[in-house]
Amino acid sequence: MTFSQQKRMSYYAFLAPGLLLFASIIIFPVAYSLTLSFTSFGGYGTPKFIGLENYAKIISDDVFLHSLRNNLLIVAISVFGQIPLGFLLAYLLHRKMVRNGDFYQTIIFLPITISPVVVALLWNQIFSSSGMVVALIRRLTGESQYVIRIFEDKQLAILPILFVLLWMHTGTYMIIFYANLQKMTPSLLEAAQIDGANESQMMMRIILPSMVGTIATTAIFAISGSLKAFDLIYAMTGGGPAHFTEVIAIYMYINTFKYYKYGFGSAASMIIVLLAVGLILLLQYISRKFERRFE
Amino acid sequence: MRKRLTLASVLSSVLMIAFTLLTIIPLAWMILSAFKPHALIVRYPLALPLSWYVDNFVLSWTQGHLGIYFINSTIYSFVATLLTVFFALSSGYALSKFPYKSSRVISLIYTLGLLITVHSVIVPLFIMETKLGISNTRLGVILPYIAFGLPFQVFLATTYIKGIPDAMQESAIIDGATFFQVFFRILIPVATPIISTMFIYTFLGNWNEFILVLTLTSDLTVRSLPVGINSFAGGMSRDYGLQFAALVIGTVPMIIFYLVFKDKIAQGFAAGALKE
Repeated sequence: MTFSQQKRMSYYAFLAPGLLLFASIIIFPVAYSLTLSFTSFGGYGTPKFIGLENYAKIISDDVFLHSLRNNLLIVAISVFGQIPLGFLLAYLLHRKMVRNGDFYQTIIFLPITISPVVVALLWNQIFSSSGMVVALIRRLTGESQYVIRIFEDKQLAILPILFVLLWMHTGTYMIIFYANLQKMTPSLLEAAQIDGANESQMMMRIILPSMVGTIATTAIFAISGSLKAFDLIYAMTGGGPAHFTEVIAIYMYINTFKYYKYGFGSAASMIIVLLAVGLILLLQYISRKFERRFE
Repeated sequence: MRKRLTLASVLSSVLMIAFTLLTIIPLAWMILSAFKPHALIVRYPLALPLSWYVDNFVLSWTQGHLGIYFINSTIYSFVATLLTVFFALSSGYALSKFPYKSSRVISLIYTLGLLITVHSVIVPLFIMETKLGISNTRLGVILPYIAFGLPFQVFLATTYIKGIPDAMQESAIIDGATFFQVFFRILIPVATPIISTMFIYTFLGNWNEFILVLTLTSDLTVRSLPVGINSFAGGMSRDYGLQFAALVIGTVPMIIFYLVFKDKIAQGFAAGALKE
């Protein structure tokens, strides 16, 4: 074997195990899923081709539309809640506005290590009628009979979920922004300070423009993460009451594994992929516009 | 300078303290409640435990089969993480230090893989594993864990290895070393910092993973801790004491893990956003 042959063989050998797993567990199933989504497959027999019928049924289903609304609410709380709050916290830490910054940082980032299932069950208890929130309200108002069953309220049940998502992930964005702020050259800010720029000018003219790229990337994280939201909601409400806290991933799960509608479930999962790609393309379009404005 | 910042720094501290309390109080409440019997939790949610009642832990550990779940979680996390990191390193080496055109296409495929969620493959994966007879086995859980870990880890490994100077490997090759020797004897030792970040980040994700184990397994002998803890909600037990104890058992090891490896975990998250 010549040297260049040996080199080429080594290249393939290094790549092979990873690619083999990736192709058989991700690429092939994605194609398979796409194919199934055009069939009425129910787990046995030969899949019957039914064209776009699954998709048509899904987008005219009220439960799906409500799930989509919930998914978009989650995207909104991530992009307009977790990211700005995370940025604010990171900025305060970076500018050393507080003492013991390391301590705060350690605590606020902590929820990321706890399993979403544990987080869900814990907050479920906190918001339950015998939980901490109700007990605190009773203590503060003196009304010993006060009770709110938020998880039984169709309109309000989504609120604790949104709150907990904020609780879990704000620290993550804080860490990401903090790392990126640290990488900025301090000389730029020093020069601005000497020229008499105030905090808000430095923020608007120097820091934010240099963070556009990071903000766009974190927003991609947030969008794809939000559409994946499953564990937390599944463990917290299971999608109830009466489907009112369902998201598309749970809608897909229930249809597939409870009603054995494999074709239908595949179509729902393809919609998740399409939504993610669509939102991310939209985001890149917007962030490119912003970058041009700052140039 | 300092005078002008007083109001701002007071507001900053208030915000930081609010976020800190919001994290600590629920966890403290959880730990305290785990030491109270069910009746006391329901009747006096805010009261401190009267004594250190540990029966909750004993009962939830035995009735909830947490022992076997703990072992399974450990196996899944260690085995899948080790293999993910190893395959990601070898792929990263191939993609950054070999001059072939196909490496660009393969990198692109892995990058697109970052956008694929577990949900988009779970139905076919379930069908495939059932046909192959590996659903409900540990292998059937570990393989998808590796595949889903790869895209991000390959990205981390490729970026890092690209930064290692070529000179070291080239002189070894001239001295007659094979590429495998270079990989094991030169590259892996040099890449230790990124290897530990990759390992800890992947481990954390695998330890907390839920939906794959939920759908691909049904026997309690192969299920993992998050799925096991989830069964404390609703059906299995209405004893809140047991539920809180199970939550504490699921949380405390992770808090220790976090306090030891916090910087590495932060690096893993931050590296993802430094992409472009």
